[in-house]
Amino acid sequence: MSTLVEYVGNVVETVTTIFEGMAITFSHFVRRPMTIQYPDRIEKPVQEMLPLRYRGILEVDLDICTGCLACERVCPITCITIGIEMNKETKQRSFSHFDIDICKCMYCGLCAEICPTGSIRHSQEFEGACYNPASLVRHFVTEPVPLYKPKKGGETDPKLVTKVDIGQKYLDEFATPEEKAGGAGAEEG
Amino acid sequence: MQAFVDQLIQEGYFQGLPKEIIYLGAMLLAALVVLSFFVAPLAGITSWLERRVWARMQSRVGPNRVGPQGILQWLADGIKNLLKEDIIPSAADKWLFVLAPYIVFVGFLATFVVIPFGGQLIVADLNIGIFYLLAVTSLVVVGILMAGWASNNKWSLLGGMRSAAQIVSYEIPAGLSVLTIIFVAGTMSMQGIIKAQGWAPWDWFLFYNPFTFVAFFLYFTAALAEGNRTPFDIPEAESELVAGYVTEYSGMRFLFFFFAEWGNLYVIGAIATTLFLGGWQVPPVTDNPVLIGVLQFMVFFLKAYFWVFVAMWVRGTLPRVRVDQLMSACWKYLVPLSFVSLLGTAAWMVLYPKGNRLASFGMFLMGVAILLLFFKRVNYQIRHSRPEIYWKPYI
Amino acid sequence: MSDPVHAKSEAFHTEDMTISMGPQHPSTHGVLRFIVKTDGEVMREAIPDVGYLHRSIEKIGEKVTWHGYVPYTDRADYLAAMFTNQAFCMAAEKLAGVEVTRRGEFCRVIACELNRIASHLIAVGSFGQDIGAVTPFIHALRERETINNLMEEICGARLTYNYIRIGGVGYDITPETCGRISEFLDHFELIVDEYNRLLSYNKIFIERLANIAVITREDAFQYNIVGPNLRASGVKWDIRRDIPYSVYPELEFDIPVGTGEKGTLGDCYDRYIVRIREMQESCRILHQCLKMLPKGPAIAKVARKFKPPAGEIYVRVEAPRGDMGFYVVSDGSEYAYRVRIRTGSFTAMSLIDKISRGLMVADLIALIASLDVDAPEIDR
Repeated sequence: MSTLVEYVGNVVETVTTIFEGMAITFSHFVRRPMTIQYPDRIEKPVQEMLPLRYRGILEVDLDICTGCLACERVCPITCITIGIEMNKETKQRSFSHFDIDICKCMYCGLCAEICPTGSIRHSQEFEGACYNPASLVRHFVTEPVPLYKPKKGGETDPKLVTKVDIGQKYLDEFATPEEKAGGAGAEEG
Repeated sequence: MQAFVDQLIQEGYFQGLPKEIIYLGAMLLAALVVLSFFVAPLAGITSWLERRVWARMQSRVGPNRVGPQGILQWLADGIKNLLKEDIIPSAADKWLFVLAPYIVFVGFLATFVVIPFGGQLIVADLNIGIFYLLAVTSLVVVGILMAGWASNNKWSLLGGMRSAAQIVSYEIPAGLSVLTIIFVAGTMSMQGIIKAQGWAPWDWFLFYNPFTFVAFFLYFTAALAEGNRTPFDIPEAESELVAGYVTEYSGMRFLFFFFAEWGNLYVIGAIATTLFLGGWQVPPVTDNPVLIGVLQFMVFFLKAYFWVFVAMWVRGTLPRVRVDQLMSACWKYLVPLSFVSLLGTAAWMVLYPKGNRLASFGMFLMGVAILLLFFKRVNYQIRHSRPEIYWKPYI
Repeated sequence: MSDPVHAKSEAFHTEDMTISMGPQHPSTHGVLRFIVKTDGEVMREAIPDVGYLHRSIEKIGEKVTWHGYVPYTDRADYLAAMFTNQAFCMAAEKLAGVEVTRRGEFCRVIACELNRIASHLIAVGSFGQDIGAVTPFIHALRERETINNLMEEICGARLTYNYIRIGGVGYDITPETCGRISEFLDHFELIVDEYNRLLSYNKIFIERLANIAVITREDAFQYNIVGPNLRASGVKWDIRRDIPYSVYPELEFDIPVGTGEKGTLGDCYDRYIVRIREMQESCRILHQCLKMLPKGPAIAKVARKFKPPAGEIYVRVEAPRGDMGFYVVSDGSEYAYRVRIRTGSFTAMSLIDKISRGLMVADLIALIASLDVDAPEIDR
């Protein structure tokens, strides 16, 4: 008798759980699908929908780069290569090359965090595919660019003020440590 | 259709030709028309619809780029597969490998001979119609076994073996449920079974007595198992056996198997409609025979296609059963229950030789109650998870 | 012998079939390979063959600075990246004696618990898919997309976060993000309920999983199984409760343990349902953290050239796949001397051969999926 009860119970349980499952999937027909139909059937481009902190492909604003080489040193995968040469007559230092290999880059954000002016930062760009691995190395120096010297008391050159502000706004997103008096065990490297 | 051709011969259209040639020509023409204008677009559109239905059940959008709303997706898939390289594994048994998809295809296509699309729209109203259908759909077993063996691949072999066991076992509950209806209708011819029902839902065999109600679900489950659909799609289980018996197939040969599967869904729906849902019966609204014919065709198509939709819906909901559970479900649950429904129907027919309209009406009300309960659950689900509502079927 | 399988092979001469569930397989959770000897459907042995995803992450630790190694730890298990980050950072902090700020600890817990939910969603979703139900997988991924969006708002990346740094966290969590996390949690608890009704209580699903591949308590101890797999065998062991770290002692949460409710204790269904319950517990933890989030800086002051004194340390965190251990040896320079990662999936692989004797091929899939093994964790 108990096997008969178990038998009927199995059949009933199968039917009821299948019924429940089918009700749930049927209820999905009236819900909005979650798909964003990129790239053509969206209201605004995806780049505008991304948050400010999004770690896309790296970009460098050479006008405010001081040439401190901190990003090259901190990169864990050595994807940044910077060359600085000094013009013997004018004693002016300028960039000869600033290459970022975006296919090696880990998108970790360490270089952007350590930059003093915020000139190297992650953009919102993510569509970097191309047909040729050599073109994945981005060269940011087309002609020799002089190094930037940050001025005490804020920047006065109107062309550079917006760039400095953008760089600073990017740097403000990172968490800042509290300033302890005397700096317990802190060394600047 | 034979009567129509005989009429044409008598009116003197085909002079000088022997009768056999005319029949042969008529048969080829009918096969061509049915195949290219009905079956091929049907299987194709079923594949597109399945992907769209699946996608909406999963909160995403299916293919919607090729043609308006993606309706030509199947053409694009077909053309792509035709252009693919035809790979036959070097150690495979070449002739069996090539022949297998065609046998599966024949097994599926031969069923269209007796599908009653409308009152007069049937290729051949055999007086053993439903029996012929059961016999011919078993041809696919041969094809699947050949595919599994000839691929020279252990995964395919496992898939083919499982499939043979599955299809052969599930013939029995399917056949017994069909037998239940043959008892009630008194004839095996498809048009005869439809004519024994009425157009109103309480005149359908589905609600004739509680035993035929159960027999319907048994038939539907067994037919899903025969068509290798989830929850019984073990032979082509994607996550276990890579792709089961179709692993080594590529290009158009691969598509042949799936073409047969989607078309088979329609055949399942058509048989279910004929046997249980009253076929093409429509209320007598007009006297115009053309209009009535069109209405009958539409009604039959919609009813059959609804079951195609239900098969897709079930595929999206349920997980797969394991192969020994499949066997035990068949032999321990489906076969005894189908015997019970058969004997119950026989007993009912002894009790009420002319049928019991009150009981039919009661069963109909019970069916409506289940449907209402279902929509109540759906409503509860929507209220409970508070999603964003979007009614339109297209996006 | 009364065993029908062996009796048959005495009457006919049958051979065992050796199948390679190769590195490319739709359901072995990454590139894993099993050499399976079967007799028809029943398996005789299943030998795992690992190493297809080995990327020498441990060796890289000796060549890269301490701060620079944190992004590499993300890749050691990319589905639970926060936990590897946290374990390494905790090891470095303990070696150097850095104290993490309070807000940093709470941000860490928020990020980790969100990541735990995301990882368990993938685990239960792909479990459903391996069993054949494709819809719950997509539903789980839909929820995980919301979590990915939240992580993108917090730290800018969706999978390999590099969020937890030595001394705290890299970015602060804004109040808007906290509001969005609350909204997500309110929505998510209902979705778990719906998911249960679609999949967990489904009779076919239960029949596939109940009484399959039982891992007893003794087996679990002998083979060093950790995490939800261990808890499903009835052992109430959770690093967050038993070897507490971070701010977990102040938070209130239960440890879900398998009870053999639909079959035997320690079967596949237990391992599955423990993960579902852990997701619900993570929601509880997140609610508490969002309320208790203190003000203050999110990161402590740590030197740019981080040079902890020489020493060695072993740190454990409760990752979604079990006990993630980092054994770090420092020799006082700016590179680590040795980093060794101990993961739960690697030891789970050793158990598969023993448990899978006598199971069917379909059950092997269920077993691998229920152990939630993850190829990057196994091979590192």
